Amino acid sequence: MSSRVNPQIRDELTAFGFKDGDKCYSCSTCTVTCPLATPENPFPRKIVRYLQLGLQDKLRQSPEPWLCYYCGDCSTQCPRGADPGETMMAARRYLTALYDWTGFAKKFYMSEKFELMAVGYVALLVGLIMLMFNTGQPDWQHADVNSLWPARYVELADLAMAAVLSFLLLSNVWRAYRAVLGELRGKIPMRLYLGQLKELLVNFLTQKKFAGCSDRMPWIIHLLIMTGYTTVFILVVVLLNGLTFDNLRFQRGWPEYPLLHPIRLLGYYATVAILLGTSYALWGRWKRTKPAYQHSHPTDWMFLILLQLTTLTGIFIHFGRLLDWPLFTYALYVIHMMVAVPMLLLEVPFAKWAHLAYRPLILYLLKVKEVYQAQNTAS
Amino acid sequence: MSTPESPKETTGTGKVGVYVCYCGGNISDQVEVEKVCESLRQLPEVGVARSNMFMCSDPGQELIIEDIKSGKVDRVVIASCSPRLHETTFRSAISRAGGNPYLYEHANVREQVSWVHHGSEATAKANRLVAAAVAKAALSEPLQPIRVDVQQRAAVLGGGVAGMKAALELADRGLEVILIERSPFLGGQVARLRHLAPFGEDAAAVIAELAGRVQEHPAITVQTCAQVEGFDGYIGQFRLQVRRRPPEAEEYADQLAAGSAAGAQLGDVVPFVGIMPQRLPENLEEQEITVGAIILATGMRPYQPLRGEYGYGDLPQVLTLPEFTRLWHAARSQRQGDLLVVQGRRIRHLAIIHCVGSRHIPGVHDEGGRGYLNEYCSRTCCTASLYTANLIRQTYPNTRVYEFYRDMRAFGRGQEELYAQASDSQVMFFRFRAGEEPQISPTSEHPTAPVLIRVKDVLTFNEELEVMADLVVLAVGQEANPVPGLVELMKLPVGADRFLLEVHPKLRPVEVAVAGIYLAGTCQAPFDVGETCSAAAAAAVKAAAVLTRGYVELDPFVAEVDLSRCQGTGACVEACLADGALTMVDMTVDGQNVRRAQVNPALCLGCGACVAVCPHNAINVKGWTLKQYEAMVDAIVAEDLAA
Repeated sequence: MSSRVNPQIRDELTAFGFKDGDKCYSCSTCTVTCPLATPENPFPRKIVRYLQLGLQDKLRQSPEPWLCYYCGDCSTQCPRGADPGETMMAARRYLTALYDWTGFAKKFYMSEKFELMAVGYVALLVGLIMLMFNTGQPDWQHADVNSLWPARYVELADLAMAAVLSFLLLSNVWRAYRAVLGELRGKIPMRLYLGQLKELLVNFLTQKKFAGCSDRMPWIIHLLIMTGYTTVFILVVVLLNGLTFDNLRFQRGWPEYPLLHPIRLLGYYATVAILLGTSYALWGRWKRTKPAYQHSHPTDWMFLILLQLTTLTGIFIHFGRLLDWPLFTYALYVIHMMVAVPMLLLEVPFAKWAHLAYRPLILYLLKVKEVYQAQNTAS
Repeated sequence: MSTPESPKETTGTGKVGVYVCYCGGNISDQVEVEKVCESLRQLPEVGVARSNMFMCSDPGQELIIEDIKSGKVDRVVIASCSPRLHETTFRSAISRAGGNPYLYEHANVREQVSWVHHGSEATAKANRLVAAAVAKAALSEPLQPIRVDVQQRAAVLGGGVAGMKAALELADRGLEVILIERSPFLGGQVARLRHLAPFGEDAAAVIAELAGRVQEHPAITVQTCAQVEGFDGYIGQFRLQVRRRPPEAEEYADQLAAGSAAGAQLGDVVPFVGIMPQRLPENLEEQEITVGAIILATGMRPYQPLRGEYGYGDLPQVLTLPEFTRLWHAARSQRQGDLLVVQGRRIRHLAIIHCVGSRHIPGVHDEGGRGYLNEYCSRTCCTASLYTANLIRQTYPNTRVYEFYRDMRAFGRGQEELYAQASDSQVMFFRFRAGEEPQISPTSEHPTAPVLIRVKDVLTFNEELEVMADLVVLAVGQEANPVPGLVELMKLPVGADRFLLEVHPKLRPVEVAVAGIYLAGTCQAPFDVGETCSAAAAAAVKAAAVLTRGYVELDPFVAEVDLSRCQGTGACVEACLADGALTMVDMTVDGQNVRRAQVNPALCLGCGACVAVCPHNAINVKGWTLKQYEAMVDAIVAEDLAA
């Protein structure tokens, strides 16, 4: 089966950040340099080549973009300045758009304006909803968010949002799974999938592959952001109402938990981790300190800015509550939600954040495939 | 083995000096050099026998010079490496000492002994080879080089860039030049180009400048419609029969018509044709010219694909690069928009295929109807293709370009840059293996692109890819312009690639085996225009060195007739390999009118074919007489040297 070269797709790729990949003359220095590339899954050259020729189907089936953590060694070594690291990044963006059946992701990546408008609309909507739906009886004595937006109602909204989010993300994950495993999908028995589930969890939590890159700093930064984000996600979405346990409930009422309360400590860890991680990344992208920070797609900025704004407004709410300033706290809560909700609703399924699902998924699927093939050769 | 300290000498009765070289161990590791000297001292002919770590070094040469000056030695035998390396070194040492450089023999005890034999066998063989050289040297006569007067005039064959450049170089040195061109036009293949890769000079401007200067130069006579029909003579004195004739009905009809259509006057550039410097001859004209040197600038021709090769001839969308260049020129003159339009067709996708007619591999590629394979790389097509691709991308950004190559050979100044630039401007590259050339087929699948190209792309893990194209351009290579007439007349050596062959690709790159004939440009190998001009200038300088001196000296190893023995059988003349070197002439010998053999030393090759056939032993090659051979054989089989 031969593949048709498609130059039209090549043009589209520019919007996803494919810029210098045309300069590649296939010497494979990048692939040799990469500590993560393997004979079964060679990259970046393979992916650069697919993009150069607009081989969309080949790319869709390729797991390689998710195996790259963009340390930038390949771009440093490239004799032609083809920036293979950034080309891999462009491939991840493009794959995110290919996996997404709604077409939103593609629009996000291709139009900065669309992304800004979408985030703005959702933010306004959230603001309006919060102004329209509340108890109407704020506690002006103490800063207690529950007095305006009781946790049990917000939890319901959270659950609704989580359902929508999960549906969107998981349907795209399903498409990624179909594309990457291809015909093998039906042949691999269910017990193999189940047997390797721990791989999914380990990769999600440790990103151990990332540690294979020669520069370990990005791994640490990435780990900070990821653990901070996951922690706070659990705190504000899962434990918003404490799953009916009083002591697990996220602190939003009055008075505040004691300083050493585990929930409060977890909140501090998450806040510090995210702030450190995002500041490092923002500063790096601003100053272009390393290859991975040389080129920033609008979606890269949006991701970091929304995350940092969410965290900062969260911190200020915390201060507001500690100082017991009701108005300040309530106003900031509205702003906080106006930033956080678009981030979760738009960025997670349709943009950069989707990689939190795709990356562990693909690593897990490759492991499943590897075990299956090993068993097949053995028998 | 250590360096010999204070070489001993034993004076024999004769005056042959023997000098054996250690060659820094190359020889002495296997041959016991001192033993060789010792046993040679026993020979009556030998005056001195010495050794040195490096005979070719200054101290080594000094040994010889001192011995000659002191009168101990009057003829020299060197036992060292191959004479090809240092024969001239030692001859000039003898000359400097005041001796005759032809009283010199050489025994090769490195390539023929120490590199191929070991131990006592090596020493024994060295003994015999040196003894044979001594025996020959003892019978040597002092000889003088043959001196030939030179006509200070050159003929340049071919009016392309190489021919014009060579003619100008010669004429600027004050030499008379006759420039002979077969067609009615100056400019050759370059006249059929538009831009010259890699820097993009205007081809027409280049030939216009050269042709203008050629026509103006008082020392250059141009003869178009002319061909060399007869040839004899030798370096310094060549005689050429030159025939000018009007073109036949079909010959050059298109080009001449193009000239008239453009209203071109004599001396004007006619695009893709050249420059007509003079009127066509009305009648057949013949003349004889004598020249001292000849420069061959007969050029190349672009490879013409076979019918069906990559669809050529079957599909109107498949063209050669020279053909495309002409259409490009026409398209440029009526440019519309950002899309290339060729003959009314919008070209959205243009494919260029490299290595067409070059780098054939026996057993992989088919001779087709050609009867030969072009195994060489044409060297210029990669760069020409890259240049063309860039030009298209710059001029028509909406026309996409695809290049299919086997190996990218963008060597040399400014060429790698073209490759990088092509990548940068989104030219897509595909690499195929020899024997897996892209397949071209017509298709109606796509609304606009009529041609489908299938290729197993090495760069994409050997996967089969499909590319749609509106136009396929074949980057054809260079073939030698066939000149069988000249090859036959001048006995020119031709390589397996059918290009004319130089003596040595590095050390004597513009000379052929026939002295006085030089190669300029693509008659020798595929070159680009810059390389062609360099080669032409080199050939001109080489010829000028001979012409301006006024005479040439040739080695004296030529046949000599012993009139006291010659009976005029003519056997030698029949056996002679060099036309004109031996002739029968009437002469008076001892008061009788007889017909005897006579040697033309300038033409004689010194091959000895005549010596072998003479029933009266009346002819010998000087420096290589039968007597000398006999003495050498005796020395080799002598018993007392068997140690």
